[in-house]
Formats: sequence, structure tokens, C-alpha cells
Amino acid sequence: MSIKLNVIDLPKDDYTGGKSTLCPGCGHDQISTVIINSAWENGLKPEMVAKMSGIGCSSKTPAYFLSKSHGFNTVHGRMPSVTTGAAMGNRDLTFIAVSGDGDSASIGIGQFIHAVRRNLDMVYVLENNGVYGLTKGQYSATAVKGSKKKKGDINKHQPIDLCKLAVNLGCTFVARSFSGSKKQLTALMKAAMSHKGFALIDVISPCVTFNNNDESLRSYTYVKDNDLELHAYDYIPTYTPIEGIEIPEGEFHDITLFDGSVLRLETIGSDHDPTDAVAAMAALHQAEIDNKHVTGLLYFDSNKSTAIEDQCLVDTPLADVPDEVMRPSAASLEILNTRFRGKD
Amino acid sequence: MGKFDYVISIGGAAGQGIATPGNILARLFARQGIHMYAYNAYQSIIRGGHSFLTVRCSNEQVRTHGDVIDLLICLNQDTMDRHLEHMRDGTAVIYNSNTINPGEPADGVQLCPMDVKELAGKGANKLMQNTVAIAVACQLIGVEFSALEDVIDFQFSGKSEELVAENVRIAKGAYDHSAATFQPASQQMPTGGEALAVWTGNQAFAMAAAGAGVKFYCAYPMSPSTGILHWMAANARELGIMVRQVEDEISVICMTIGAAHAGCRSMCATSGGGFALMTEGIGEAGMMEIPIVVVDVQRAGPSTGVPTKTEQGDLWQALGASQGDFPKLILAPSSPLDGFQTIPDVFNLTDKYQLPAIILSDLLISDETSTIDPKLLDMHPIIDRGELITEAGEEAGSYERYKFTESGISPRALPGIPGYEHVVASDEHMPSGILISDEFTHPHKRRAMMEKRQQKMTGLLAELPPPVIMGAPDAEVTLVGWGSTADVIQESIEQLAAEGVVANHLHFKWMVPFHSDEATELLSSCKRTIIIENNYTGLFHRYLRGETGFTVDGHIRKYDGEPFKPKHITAAVQDQLAGGDAISVPYEEIIV
Ligand SMILES: Cc1ncc(C[n+]2csc(CCOP(=O)(O)OP(=O)(O)O)c2C)c(N)n1
Ligand code: SF4
Ligand SMILES: [Mg+2]
Repeated sequence: MSIKLNVIDLPKDDYTGGKSTLCPGCGHDQISTVIINSAWENGLKPEMVAKMSGIGCSSKTPAYFLSKSHGFNTVHGRMPSVTTGAAMGNRDLTFIAVSGDGDSASIGIGQFIHAVRRNLDMVYVLENNGVYGLTKGQYSATAVKGSKKKKGDINKHQPIDLCKLAVNLGCTFVARSFSGSKKQLTALMKAAMSHKGFALIDVISPCVTFNNNDESLRSYTYVKDNDLELHAYDYIPTYTPIEGIEIPEGEFHDITLFDGSVLRLETIGSDHDPTDAVAAMAALHQAEIDNKHVTGLLYFDSNKSTAIEDQCLVDTPLADVPDEVMRPSAASLEILNTRFRGKD
Repeated sequence: MGKFDYVISIGGAAGQGIATPGNILARLFARQGIHMYAYNAYQSIIRGGHSFLTVRCSNEQVRTHGDVIDLLICLNQDTMDRHLEHMRDGTAVIYNSNTINPGEPADGVQLCPMDVKELAGKGANKLMQNTVAIAVACQLIGVEFSALEDVIDFQFSGKSEELVAENVRIAKGAYDHSAATFQPASQQMPTGGEALAVWTGNQAFAMAAAGAGVKFYCAYPMSPSTGILHWMAANARELGIMVRQVEDEISVICMTIGAAHAGCRSMCATSGGGFALMTEGIGEAGMMEIPIVVVDVQRAGPSTGVPTKTEQGDLWQALGASQGDFPKLILAPSSPLDGFQTIPDVFNLTDKYQLPAIILSDLLISDETSTIDPKLLDMHPIIDRGELITEAGEEAGSYERYKFTESGISPRALPGIPGYEHVVASDEHMPSGILISDEFTHPHKRRAMMEKRQQKMTGLLAELPPPVIMGAPDAEVTLVGWGSTADVIQESIEQLAAEGVVANHLHFKWMVPFHSDEATELLSSCKRTIIIENNYTGLFHRYLRGETGFTVDGHIRKYDGEPFKPKHITAAVQDQLAGGDAISVPYEEIIV
């Protein structure tokens, strides 16, 4: 039996990770599987990927995928800032970040906002379960109003919707998905990996231990039954895909991504235009009123420059620029010196 | 009957429910008036890994988890594989023979295999093995079945009646099987004591704060401090305490300051990482002279570190919390009870001297479950809010918030009192509150304000009890400690006495301000001094040397995440007395 290889001739084994220590059934593990499949099928070079995360059950997951890539577990909530620094230091790295709703919407919201605003080139996977899993299930800031977790009272507070926030901030790729929708999530993940700029995928990822009960609006059953899909998706790579792509029967619309690959949006029900920020906000707003979860590509903009471009960084990653080039020359120091002595 | 002192350890993976047998045992002992101390060695994982709960019980006060294991309960094979080697003659091992293979035990270790499937019958679930194990443990140490039944009833109350009945039935089967099959344990539990209560250090601290009249508590969850938040949240409504879980520790400290400024006694708690985020706020409280109480429940650092392991690593973080040179109160209570009894004083002192207080707790104190005699708990301590102006008086219209006084304490008017309107600011200010950075940075005004604030430390120091040496006055060696090591040092001193070594104990709780003169005098009177700390570089020793100029003779340090056992200290002291190295780092034999 021959082993299947991807476009850069690597087997899938090169993209897997260590054994998960999360609770069996945790949504986060399903997302890790999707990351593994997408990175493999897209042919990311493992050694050029930096897996970034904060602290939380979700932020532990980089240990469970892409074990041949680099990892950076930052302190709680500060991953976007660390990634910003890392991207400035080496613009050639591909950043795949995983965070939790506590990590991004509570303690790290300031960091998150600024990374979005700068259009940092990264895939930002938010594993959103409405609770702080790792500290044993307190409500997070994304918990839906009126939802009730396994223990404790009904949540009375207005949630922070990071997708809304991101659209507002001009984020260039905003998607919401569900850990249980493998096909949709995989297409969006691959598209995010092909995007240039900040790609947010807010994945509803049920916490089976603390927030998967009947009264929770983030349980598997609830999300599955109340999932409003904007489109059906297919990702069409620039090379011959490992799995064949079927031509849809109904109407569809293609979006060309930065690397030339295509995200195909097949119309189901009413059509959503992902280049229309107001439509994205309206869809999110309506879903919130109806206690639904709207999933799919909400907003997309391929025209914005990234943080690295705005900084006008040299093409060579700063980390690779030799000392001789980085260091001020003896001549320039001499000029400075002269100026200090007031003899300019 | 002699002293009953018996240690039961339960090992399993997170999620296997080791907490339940732990709780059942704790409650059972407490109801029988047996003192108990439980230490849980666990990992930051929701399921899997290895957790190891050690419950020590005695008819006398117990304050550490001891040195040995008398009864081992294995909930999985891993526990058997890891810990069978620690079992010695006269001990026993309980395990589920359906799923666990025993290893090769040492001579005289009684193996107690339990056929859980057979006992539980059809529909047995994974947690039934816990019930079986507890029943056998109780039978072995001579607990009456009725006592166990009561506790099972209580533990599962709120669940279905069938579940309670089912557990009682299984427990009875296991109990009878044990009586018919196994030898009784080496020690039998005495009965007839007066019932005790069970608490953790976090609960003790939270209760103390409630008793001291805290009205506002907020936190962002961080192990091992979360227990305080949980207790506060669970009791908030009944006690009328405003409890908020907020978005990060920066907000936590700021909200705490805000509430305190408005007039509420306010507290917050976190662990080292969250404390680091709070530090700018602590300086703010110092500058504005707002009384707040911040608890740092230390865990092994730096950074995210080891969330479920203990360390006394944050002393210098507390000493250096925030920029600038300003007064603060720092203390490290030695136990849940010490914390409970000290916290009301801390609130009174922070109110009186209008400054931030930092209480250094640690995972060992905060997480340990122990029995406590409810008679020792005074929930109505004296509340003294210091010079607080709550209604308009003579000074209306001419009130100065930061008035110069001999004590340095300026009467604090709460916002909302007519004629007492004032500004508090993080900038340096004049007595009126007007910013001097806005006018001109007058060196004389700055100096006067610095001296006013620091003057408060003189009064504060005089109110703190000076350190004392506990035990034999003429001891061969003095063991010096701070914070959570007090009880383990005490137990080691007893062990040393049994070995013919006379040791006494000098323990520090109040860190800042510090009784330097008294400490220097005491230390200089000692024949030989050995300092014991749960950190790598001897953080307290460095501070002590700075305050006293005194250098101790020897060090015992542990920084592997696990707390000291008495025997670690005893052996290290003996080694040093026999001429061994001046720094001992005990070896931890329990691998979790
Ligand atoms: C400064 C700081 N405060 C608190 C913590 C404790 N802590 C660890 S993870 C976490 C929340 C994690 O929640 P989320 O990001 O939603 O991840 P999940 O576990 O739900 O996947 C908290 C509060 C910490 N590590 N650092
Ligand atoms: S606690 Fe919740 S989020 Fe954490 S691993 Fe378990 S199911 Fe997942
Ligand atoms: Mg979460």
C-alpha cells in the first residue's frame, strides 16, 4: 500500500501531533484534526509554521497537531502581541494561532483588537466554548445571554461577539464555524491558510465537561440544531487536490485567495455577500436575536495591506539579516559622534 | 489507646473522581472528631494524568501530610505501578482486581484485591470502584458501617435516591467482604470525639474576609486562588457581598481600588501571573492611600509555571510590586487558621494606615483540606475602619484629603460628603489633593508628601507583633521559616527531639514593615541557624540578611513543586549538624 503524499511530498504523519490530554469529546480536539488535515492538504511546510497560543485547554492544543512545527505558548491572553513581535522578526513564518474565548475575549481582548487592526498575517483560530475550561468552567465573556452551563446560574450578561468586533475593526477574513461541521470548517481553514492578512475563524467548540448540558446554548445538540449556514463551501487549491472537487448543481460564487486558490461559495437559501461588511453585521445581529449560530465566511477583503507591508520591512526576515548589515557602520557612528560634539 | 496517626493515599487519573472518596473520608473523619489533613498532588488537566491525594488522620491535631503511607487505594494501574514501592511492612493496598494487576509488594504488605464487577453487579459504573475502595478502607481501620452510610447519604444527597441506595448496597457488600477476608489495619480509628468542620485555606481566607466585613470581591480565575472566588460567589447573596468575575487582573485591581475608594472593604485574590498584572494598580492604591487587600496565592513560577504545584517564589515580587518607594503591608500567614485569624487585623490595619496590603498565601495553604474546630472560628472580629469621615463635620469646606499629621494618617472622607469634595490622583499631590505635577514639581512639597506617607510605617510597625522564638530557649539549632512552612517545621522539631536533637523555631509572618532590631537580636542569640524555604535562591534569607545583616548557617530548600515532608527537614538538619553541606535540597520520593 502506498502512503498518500501531499503536494510537497509529505505524508500526513508529518502533520500530526502528540496525544491529546483533553476530555474525550472536547470540541477542541476536532479542530486540531481539521488543522492537521488542512495543513497537510494545503502543503504547508511544517518547519516554516509557528503555532502560537495563549493559556487554556484550547491553547494547549498546538501540542496535538503539527509536531514538526515550532510552537509558542505565551502567557494568558498575550499571544497576539507575541505573534506581532515574531512576525516582525521573521516575516517568512506562517502563523497558525489557537486561542480560547477567555484568552481572546477577556484577558487578551486588547491584544486581539490590535492584532486585527494591524491586519497581522496569521490564521487565528478561536476555540469558543463560552467558558474557561481549564480553570473549571466559569463563564467567559462570549457566553450567550440566557444560556446556562452545567453548574451555576443562567448567564445574564451580554456576550462579546468577536466576529462582530472583527468586522467592525476591518478584519480581512472573518468566519464562524462549528467544531462539529468538519467539511465547512476544513474549507474555511484551508481558505484562511491561503489568505494574506488576519484570518479569524471563530469556531464554536463545545466544552463537554462544563457547558454541554441541555440548558446551554453552546452544547453540541443546540449548536447543531441552530446552525444557520451562510453557504456550502469547497476549497479549490492551485494544485491537483488530494480529494476530488465536485461541481455544485446549484448557483455558486468563487472567491480567489491570495495564493491563487479558490473558495467556492455555493448558495443555500438566501445569499450572503462576504464583501459586504454591513450584511455581515446584519447576519450576526439577526442570529443573536434569534439565538442562532450563523456560520460560514462572514466577511472577506483581499485589498488591504498587512502589518508587515505597512511597516515597510525588508524582504529578508529581520532575524536573517546579518549583523554587518544591521549594525550601524563605523562611519555613521562617527557622524553621530561629531554631532554630539556640536561640530556638525 | 495510644496516638492514632494514619495516612491513606488515593491515586488515579483526573476525572476518575478521586475527589469524591477524598471528600467522603474527610467528612467521615470530621464527624467522628478525628483530625485530618489532606494534600492533593495533581496536574493542570481536566481528565487523565496522575492525581494523588494523601489524607492523614489522627486523634490529635495534624498539620502536614506526614512522611509515610499506611493505606494505598489504587484507582488505576498507574497508581499501583508508581506507589507500591513506597509501601512497607504493616501497610495495605486496596485495588480493583478486575482492572489492576498488583506488583510485587514488600514483605508484610497486605494486598486487598476487590472484585468490583462482582460486588457492584450489573450496571456498575466506573465510579463504583471508589465506593468499594472507601468501604474497604473504612472496614480496615474499624469505622462502623453506619458512620460510612451517613456520609454516603450526605455525599450523594441531591442525586437520586436510587443512586444513594445503590452506593450504600455496594459499600455494604464491600465492607462485609473485607471483614471476612482481610486483616484489620495496623491502627484502628478511635471514636467519640466531638465533630469537627472541614475547610481549605482558600475557604478560610474567604470566610475571614467576609467576617471582616468585605463588601466587594472580584477576580479573574487563576489556580490556585480560584477557591476564594468560588466560596465568595457561592455565599455572596447570603452575605451581601458584591462578587464579580471580571475580564482580567488589571480590571480586577482597578475595580477593587474603585470600590475601596467609594468606601467598601475590598479584596481580590490571584496567583503570581495575575499579581504581576496587578502591580501597577498596587502602586496606585499606595499613591492614593486607598486601603485594599490583595491575596497572592503563590504557585510554582515563573510565568504560567506549574499551575498545580506550590512554591514560596513571589516574595520579591510582592516586595517590589509597583514602581516607586511607598508604604505597603506584606505578610505571609502560616496556615488556614493563621490566615483566618490574621485577616481581620489586616483589614483593620489597611483601613487605619490607608495602604495596600499583600497577603502571600501559597498552593499548599490554599488547597489543603483539613479539619478545624469550629469553636476556634470567630466570625465577628472587631472592625476598626480607622479615621474615616462618613458625614459632614467641622472641616466642611476646608477639608484636605492628604492633610499633614503627626502620624502621617490623613482622615479619609468618602466621596459624596458635602464640603469634603476632593481629588485623588495617581500623580503626586499636595495635601489638598491638587497635583503638584500640574503646578510645578516643587521639591519641598514632594519631600513633605513622601515623608507623610512613609511616616505611617512607624505607627504600623509598632502595631505588629515582633518575632519570637518558639520552643526550647537554649536549643542546639534554630529552624527559621516564613509563611506556609511553619507546621512542617514544627513536626520536624518533634522528630528531631525524638532523635535527641534539641531544635527551636523562629517563624516570620510579617514581612513589611519588618521588625529588624528584634529579629537581629533573636538571631544573634541562636547557637546555630538553618533556614527553610520552598524556593531555589533563598528569597526570604536574602531579605532577612538585608534587614538584619545576619547570615544564617545553613539552608534547606525545595523547589520541585511539592511541599516539604517533615522527614525531609529532619534528615537535612541532622546532616548539617553532622557537618554536611550548608545547603540541602531534599529528594522528593512521590512522583506525581
Ligand atoms: C494572568 C493569568 N490569569 C489567570 C490565569 C488562569 N487561567 C488559565 S486558562 C484560563 C481561561 C481559559 O479559558 P479559555 O481561553 O476560554 O480556554 P478554554 O480552557 O475554555 O479552552 C485562565 C483564567 C492565567 N494562566 N494567567
Ligand atoms: S474542560 Fe472543556 S474545554 Fe477543557 S478539555 Fe475538557 S471539554 Fe475541553
Ligand atoms: Mg473557553
